[in-house]
Order: sequence, then structure tokens, then C-alpha cells
Amino acid sequence: MNSISFSRVSVRVAVDGSDTPKTLLHHFSLDLTERRIGVIGANGSGKSTLLRLVNGLVEPSEGTVVVHGDDTLADVRRVRGNVGFVFTDPLSQLVMPTGREDVELSLRRSIKNSKERAARAEAVLNRFGLLHLADQSIYELSGGERQLLALAAVLAVDPTVLVLDEPSTLLDLRNRELLRRTVAGLDQQVIMSTHDLDLALDMDRVLVVEAGRIVFDGGAAEGVARYRELCAAPLPGAGVGDVSR
Amino acid sequence: MKGHGFLIANYVRGHSIIHRTPLWLKFLVVAACGAASFLIVDWAVSLVIFAVMCGLFMLTGAGFGRLLRAIWLVAPILLVIGLFQWWQLGGPTAARIVLNVLVCVVAASVLTATTPVQDLLDGVVALAKPFRSFGADPERFALTIAVMLRSIPFIAGAFSDVRDSARARGLERNPRALVLPVFITTVAYARQTGDALAARGLGEPERD
Repeated sequence: MNSISFSRVSVRVAVDGSDTPKTLLHHFSLDLTERRIGVIGANGSGKSTLLRLVNGLVEPSEGTVVVHGDDTLADVRRVRGNVGFVFTDPLSQLVMPTGREDVELSLRRSIKNSKERAARAEAVLNRFGLLHLADQSIYELSGGERQLLALAAVLAVDPTVLVLDEPSTLLDLRNRELLRRTVAGLDQQVIMSTHDLDLALDMDRVLVVEAGRIVFDGGAAEGVARYRELCAAPLPGAGVGDVSR
Repeated sequence: MKGHGFLIANYVRGHSIIHRTPLWLKFLVVAACGAASFLIVDWAVSLVIFAVMCGLFMLTGAGFGRLLRAIWLVAPILLVIGLFQWWQLGGPTAARIVLNVLVCVVAASVLTATTPVQDLLDGVVALAKPFRSFGADPERFALTIAVMLRSIPFIAGAFSDVRDSARARGLERNPRALVLPVFITTVAYARQTGDALAARGLGEPERD
């Protein structure tokens, strides 16, 4: 039951001015049961599309995605209730002016009593060491603090799965380590895309995505090595646009 | 993006009489100010109401600076409107229209400076409850307000960033270099916000 299952999934999108749709993810099947799953690959390889399938932000063109027993098409509301999603840029995710208000917004559905909601929000912020920043404008926070706040707002509703889409891309080394430690301490099943190979090495299982295909599925060390091999290969058309000349 | 601490809903903690006034009464005052802007025909009356609202704002303890900032934000638009109305309908009418808009701005600021956003949203949900019988979800009304409050400083920040970029390229006098990027950034932001709300399950219909 506690698995994320992709069954014969593919994702295609229509392209303006073309009759042929573009394939973002080619046919694949996966059963993810590990607690920590990393997704690595080049920009535009399909990592984010793969993650967005998990909480129904992207619908499969073919096949099914089942998260802990719920189909992402048929039970999308329940899936979104159970799957927390943290985006690369926390500013696009934080809706309210302050951290406290944003966490309270997350809790509006589940806790109707405003005093109870405020107390719960305070407890969540305290758990993440963000209480002292609770009433500051989100614009006054550092990138790391914002990312932690986005994480706190998502975890406030106790999801069973946490999806993180390149969460460390905008962070400096200190904040990246903070995020790494925080994620390591979570009870949730975590699926994360990242360009941070140190972070990828913490995972129990790593998927390497290349041009819409999963080209590796296995242990973290082997996955990172495979990705390094792919990156070492020359790009198609390399040298044609050499600007140094 | 640059920080934009100024938010319309910038709640100021306090225990003033306005803070302790029931939300429904504050809503009523804002609504009355909105209605009065259509009914008042004498600029002197508008001026008196404006002075009263400013007095109420000062009672909140939020400070004169915040009052000025609230007015400053709409000042360029009011200047254009005022000049146009003066040209078209004369000084008294222009003064009345400008003052009536200012009354609404200050009344809204009194409300937002003395009411925590969550209480405001709870109030909106309570007000929208009668629409439930028509199939509307009151929480969506609240979410709309929340997104609106959040979007204003974002767009202001986008404009500021784009203006700096345009300056750096010597294009500060080119309206296209200012307007188009802000427009594109805003549309992208709207899409990202939509995704983020959907991912958090916000705006979904209430479960049965």
C-alpha cells in the first residue's frame, strides 16, 4: 500500500503549430517503496514532470499513477491531501504575507477553530525553528528560511508523501545543509529531484532521467556515477555554437 | 526579487479601541465609506469624513508613516484622475472624487491594520456563507482575498526589478522594456501560484 506506482505511464503535450505532440516522458513503470527517492538528470530531462505526476499536477497521457492506494486521476483530492509538494522557488509557493499566516492558511481546511489553528501553526513553526520569524514579511527572510517555511507550511497538514522539486537550487551551502538535515529527519516518504549530488547520495534509491526516459534505477552511488557519465558525454551539436572563437 | 515589505494587509498588533471593535462593525464602516463615495456630493463633507477616517487610523497606533504610505501608493493614480476631473468637471468635483477614493483607502487600511489576516479571511468566509446555497465555496472567497493581498506586493516587486534591469541596459525611457517583462513575469507568477495552490489542495471544493 505504501508505494508510489507508475504503471505504463507516458506524458505528452500538444505543441503550438505542430500536429505531433511532444513526449515529455516515454513509457515507464515503477514501484517506489523506499523512504528516500532521488531523481537526477539534466535541465529539461523530465524530472519535474515525473514529480508532478505524483500529486496530479500533471496527468498521465497513458497509464496510471497510484500513490499509497489512491489514483492521481480518480482520487486527486485525496492524493493532494496526502502528497505535499515543495517547489524550487518558495516565493511562488508562499501565499500569505507572513510565515505564521501561510501555515495557518494550510490548516484552514482541517482546523476550523481559529484559536486551535493558531496554536497548531505555532507548534509547526516551533518544530522547524521558525517561530522567531513567524511574523516577519516573507520578503525579509533569507532563501533558506523561505524554503524551510514553505516546507513547514506543506508539512503542517501531515502529508504521507513529500515531493521536493529541486529544493536546494536557490540555497547557499549553509542553508542546503540545513535543508538536508531537515529532510533527513522527516517521517514522510520523500521523493526529490535535485542537482545537488551530495543530497542525491543520501537517497535510498535514485532514478536518472535523460531526455524523458529513465535510464537508471538503483542505488544512490551507482545512480550518481551514471549521471556523471552522461554529463561527461559530449552534447549533440557541441562545437557548432562555440562562442569563444 | 527585491523585498517589498509593504503589504495592504499589514496587521499591526495592538489593543486600541479599533483593534477591539468587532469585525462586522469594521466591515460595515468600510462598506459605508464605499457607499458614501457614491452619495456624497459636497467636497467639504468628503473632507470631514476623510479627516474622521484619518483620526480613526491614528487611534489604531499604526502610526502616521503607515497612513502616508497607504495614501502614497494611490497618489499617482489620484493625481491623474484629479487633473482629468478638474479639466472636465471643475475643481469641487475633482476634489470630491479624489477625497472619496482616499476615504475608501484609509477605511480599508483601518480594517487591515487592526485585523489579523486569518480573522479577516474568517470574516470573509462568514459573509460568503449565504452563497453556499448557490453552490459557491466560501473558502474560495477567502482564498481569492489572500491571493490578491499577496499579489500586489509581488507585482510591485516585479516592476521594481524590471525597472532596474531596464536602467542597467539604458532602456529606462522605453515603455515596452518596462511593461512587457512585468506582464510576462506576472502571468508566470499567476501560473506558478495556481500550481502551488493546487499542490497544497487550496481552493479545492470542500469535502462532503
